[in-house]
Amino acid sequence: MPRLFSRLVITSMCGLALTACAKTDGPGAAPSPGQQQGPVKIGISLPLTGDFSEPGKGIQEGYQVWADRVNAKGGLLGRKVELIFRDDASDPNRVSSDYESLITQDKVDLVFGPFSSRLVIPAAKVAESYGMVFVEPAGAAKEVFEQGFERLFYAAPAIADDHYDYLADHLIKLPEDQRPKTAAYASLDDPFAQGTAYGLRDRLAEAGIKTVVDEVYPPETTDFSPIAAKIAAAKPDLVVGGTQFEDSVGLVRALQELKVQPKLAAFSTGPTLAEFPDAVKGAAEHIVSPVGWSAASTFTGNEEMVGRYKEMFGGPANEDAANGYTVGQIIEAAVTAAGCADPSKECQDKLTEHIRQGTFDTVVGPLSFDDKGRPEQAHMIQQYVDGRIEIVLPEQAKTADFVYPKQAW
Amino acid sequence: MSLLLQGLALGVLTGGLYALLSSGLSLYFGVMRVVMVAHPAFLFLAAYLTYTVHTVFGADPFLALPVTVPLFFLLGVAVQRLLVARLAPENVPMMSVLLTFGLALTIEGLLGTFYTGSYKSVSMEYATRSLTVAGVHLPYDKIIAFAVAALTLGVLFAVLVKSRFGQALRATIQHREAARLVGVPTERVAGYGFGVGLATAAVGGTVLALITPFFPASHWVWIGKLMAIIVVGGLGSVAGAALAAVLLGVVEGVVLVTVDATWATMMFYVFLFLTLLARPQGFFGGRLAHRF
Amino acid sequence: MRTASRGLPLLAAALAIAYPWLVPNYYLVYAGALTVMYAAMATSWNLLGGFTGYVSLGHSAFFGLGAYGTGLLVTRLDVPWALALPVSALLVTVFAVGVGVAAVRVRGASFVIVSIALVSMMNLVVQGWRSLTGGSTGLQVPSPFPDLHRGQTHMVFFHLFLVLLGLALLSWWYVSRSRFGAGLRAIREDEDKAESLGVPTAAYKVAAFALSALFVALAGGLYALWFGSLDPIFMFSILIGSYMVLMSLLGGVRHLYGPLLGALIVAPAGEYFLIALGETQVHLAATGVLLILVVLFMPEGILSRLTRRRPGPSIPEESAGQRLEGAAR
Repeated sequence: MPRLFSRLVITSMCGLALTACAKTDGPGAAPSPGQQQGPVKIGISLPLTGDFSEPGKGIQEGYQVWADRVNAKGGLLGRKVELIFRDDASDPNRVSSDYESLITQDKVDLVFGPFSSRLVIPAAKVAESYGMVFVEPAGAAKEVFEQGFERLFYAAPAIADDHYDYLADHLIKLPEDQRPKTAAYASLDDPFAQGTAYGLRDRLAEAGIKTVVDEVYPPETTDFSPIAAKIAAAKPDLVVGGTQFEDSVGLVRALQELKVQPKLAAFSTGPTLAEFPDAVKGAAEHIVSPVGWSAASTFTGNEEMVGRYKEMFGGPANEDAANGYTVGQIIEAAVTAAGCADPSKECQDKLTEHIRQGTFDTVVGPLSFDDKGRPEQAHMIQQYVDGRIEIVLPEQAKTADFVYPKQAW
Repeated sequence: MSLLLQGLALGVLTGGLYALLSSGLSLYFGVMRVVMVAHPAFLFLAAYLTYTVHTVFGADPFLALPVTVPLFFLLGVAVQRLLVARLAPENVPMMSVLLTFGLALTIEGLLGTFYTGSYKSVSMEYATRSLTVAGVHLPYDKIIAFAVAALTLGVLFAVLVKSRFGQALRATIQHREAARLVGVPTERVAGYGFGVGLATAAVGGTVLALITPFFPASHWVWIGKLMAIIVVGGLGSVAGAALAAVLLGVVEGVVLVTVDATWATMMFYVFLFLTLLARPQGFFGGRLAHRF
Repeated sequence: MRTASRGLPLLAAALAIAYPWLVPNYYLVYAGALTVMYAAMATSWNLLGGFTGYVSLGHSAFFGLGAYGTGLLVTRLDVPWALALPVSALLVTVFAVGVGVAAVRVRGASFVIVSIALVSMMNLVVQGWRSLTGGSTGLQVPSPFPDLHRGQTHMVFFHLFLVLLGLALLSWWYVSRSRFGAGLRAIREDEDKAESLGVPTAAYKVAAFALSALFVALAGGLYALWFGSLDPIFMFSILIGSYMVLMSLLGGVRHLYGPLLGALIVAPAGEYFLIALGETQVHLAATGVLLILVVLFMPEGILSRLTRRRPGPSIPEESAGQRLEGAAR
C-alpha cells in the first residue's frame, strides 16, 4: 500500500515537474535594470584545497592579476570587475554545485573555468546547460573536447596531445646517428598527463623510436624507485614523464639514485613550476618540458602581467597564472567587441560567436579556436640551461640553443 | 633477474620506513583500542615543521627532531587526555575513528591555511645519490630512512622491554583491568603510550620530508596502506606490524618492478583481506585483535 | 498525541515534496536534491550502523559501484536506465554479501579498517580497469531526460531521491519492529551473548550490511544518471562515506529520523562553510572540529539530547546488559 502511494506521488510529481517550471531566474531572463550599472560579477570555482590545489592557486592569482589590471584601467565597459571565488575542494560535486549557485543564485554575469580536465567536464556541463560561455584555463585533455560542448574554449596554445609536437619534430629530423633509438615512458594516471606523454610516444613510435618501458602509476604513488629501476634496466636514450609536480620530482630523484643517464629527459608540468629546481637540487639542468607561456616573451601584455604579478604576490609569475590571465584577456576582448557583459542568452551568444570567430592577442600569443573549442596553436619547449628556464623550440621563439644530449644528473 | 634483486632491495628499505610509520598506530591501538586515522596527518604536520626548521634556520632536517619529538610527545598526551579519554568506554573502538578522522581534517585544514596548498620539499645533497652493491643501487635517502627507522624502533623496543614504563605499557596493552589491579596507573600510561606513538610520528615525518614532496592532503594516501600493515601484523603488536611492514614493502617492490603500480598498491588490500579470511587476528596478534 | 506523531511526518513529507516550487532558484533545488540524497544514504548507512553498532567508513564504495554499474549498463549495454538502476543495485548487493562475509568476521576497529580499505581498493580497480570504466578519463552517462532543461532535471531527481529516502526510512522502520531488528540490536549490545542465545549473528550482520549497501547503491545509480559524469577518485572517496557517518551520529543513530536530521544540518552547513570560508582551507578545519565536537559531546545525537520522549520510532537507548557491561569496566 505505501509502495503504491509513493508510486502515485512520484508519477504525479514528475508530471508536475515537467509542466510547472515557473522559475524566472535562470539565465536568459531579462536582467534587472540595476544589474547593468553594478560591477561585472565573474563566478569562478577553483580547487583551492585537495589534490589539485597547487595549480588551482596559480590560476586564481592569474585571474586576480587580470582583474586588478582591468579595474586600474576603469573596468569592463566602465563597470568594475568583481571576482567571486569558490573552493571546490578538488571535488566534481562541489564544482557543479559552485557553478550552479554562482549562476542561479549569485547571478554572475560571466564565468571563468576551474582547473584540471577532471573538473572541467562537470563544470562545463553546468555552464553549457545555462548557456554561459565557458573559457577555461586548464582542461587540455582531448576528452574535454569530445563532449559536444558548444561554448567551451581552452585558453592555451594547444591541447595535451600536441604539447610535445615541436620536440617530436625536432627529434625525428635529427640525423640517423644522433637520433635516440629507445624511449621510456612513465605517466601519471590522469587524462592530461597521459595525453602529453602519449602524444609524444605515438609520434616517436611512428618514426621508429622504440618504446622500451611504458608505465602508468596511480595518483597515490609516492615511491618512484621501482619504476626508475624498470627504466634503468631498459637503458633508454629518452625518458619521458607524463607528470604533475610531486611525481616529476619523485621520478627525477629516483632516476638519479638508480643512475639512469638518458640523453634527454622530458617531464610535463612539474619543471614549469617555480618550486621545481629547488626540489630536485642540481638535477633540473637540461630537463625539457612543454610550456604554453614564457616569462620573457613579448606577447601582448606579458610584461605588464609579469610586473603586476610580482607586485601583488612577490614572486615570479608561472604558467598557471598566465593561463588564468589569458582567460581574462579573451573575455575582455570579447566583452569589449560585443558591448555586453550579462548572463542573458543574447549576450552570451554574442560572446560565444565572437570568440569562435576571432583571434585573440594574449600573453601566450595569438589564440584562435576550432569548432570544438580546441586552440589551434602549439606549445613551446622549454629547457633548463645554466640553471635558467630558456625556450629552445621552436626556432623562431628560442632564447637559447637546445642542448642534446643532456649532461649527467 | 637484476631487476628483481633491485626491486627486492628497494622493497626492504621501503619496508623499514613503513615499519617506522606504522609503529605509532600499533601503540595507540594497544593502549586504547584506538584506530588513529590522524596518524598520517600528524606525520605530515611533522614534515611541515621540519620544512620550517630547514628553510628558516637552514638547519639539517634531523636537527628538527629535538624540537618536534618532545612537542609531539606532549601533543600525544594531550590528544589522549583531552580527547580520547573522554569517549564513553564502550564506544571507543568506533568513535575514536571518527574523532581522529575529525582531527585529521582539522590538521589538513590548518596546514593548508598556514602553508598554502603548494608542494613543499626538503632536499639534501645526499638525497639524490646511491650506493651500488653488486649492481644493485641503494639510494642514500632510503638507506638513511631505513637506518633512522631501525634506530627508532630499536629504542622503542628497548624502552618497551627494559624500562619500568615499558613494562607498565605492555601490561596495559595486554590486560588493562589486570594491570590496574596490580597498581599500574593505566590512565597515565595510556597517555604516555599516545605520547610515544606521536613521537614516532615526529621522526617518521622528518624522514618522509626527506624522501618525498608533500602537500596538506598527502596524508590520505597513507591511511589505507598503514592500516593494512597493522591488520596484517596483528592489531596492537608493534613487532608484528614491523614484520608485516617489511613483508608488504618487499611485496610492493617486487610487484612494482614486475607488474605495475596499481597492482603493487592493490597488494596491501589483497593481503589485508587474505589475513582477515585466514587469520583475522593477524600474524602476530593474539586474542586481543579478534575481540576488537 | 497520536495525531501529532502521525501528522507531523506527513506534513513534513508534503513540505518536502513541495520544496522545489517554494525556493527562489535552481541552485537551491540542486542543493536540496544533494541533501536528500545524503539523507537517503545516511538513513541506509544507519541500517547497519544504528542497529549493529558497526561503523563503516566505506559505504562510498557501494555508492561508487552503484553509480558505475548503472552508468556502464546504460552506456556499454544500452540497458534502459529504469532497468539499469535496480539491476546494478542488486549486483552491488550481491557483492556486498561477499564482502560482508569477510568483513564481519572482525569487530570494532578492524571492521572500520576493512571498510576504509574497501573504498581504496574499489578506487584502484575502477581507475585501473581503463578499457571498461574509462579509468581516470571518467565515464559520461547520457541524461535519461534529454528533453528537460537543467533545472527541470534537478526537480525530477529531487523527487526520485525523495522516494529513495522514503524507501530507506520505511525499511528502517520495518526492521526496527521485526525479529531481525531485535537480533541486530542484540549484536550491538553484546555480540557474544547474542550468539550464545542462538541469534545467527554472522548471517544477520551480513544481511544488514547488504541491505544497507542496496540503498546506497541505488543512490549511487540515481546520482550517475543525474550528474552524468563519473570519476573514480571522487566516486570512491572516504569523505563521502564519512559524511554518512557524521550525519547519522549528529542526528542520532538510534532514531528513525536521526540521519535525516543530521543530513539536513550537515549538508547545508558544509555548503555554508564553503561559501563563507571558501577562499582558504579553514573550512576543512571547521568540518573537522564539528566532527570532533559531535563525537565528544553528542555521540548519541541531537534527537536523544532534545527529547526524553522520543518523537519517532527508535532503538531503546540503553539496555540492562549494556549497563552491566559499563559497570564492569
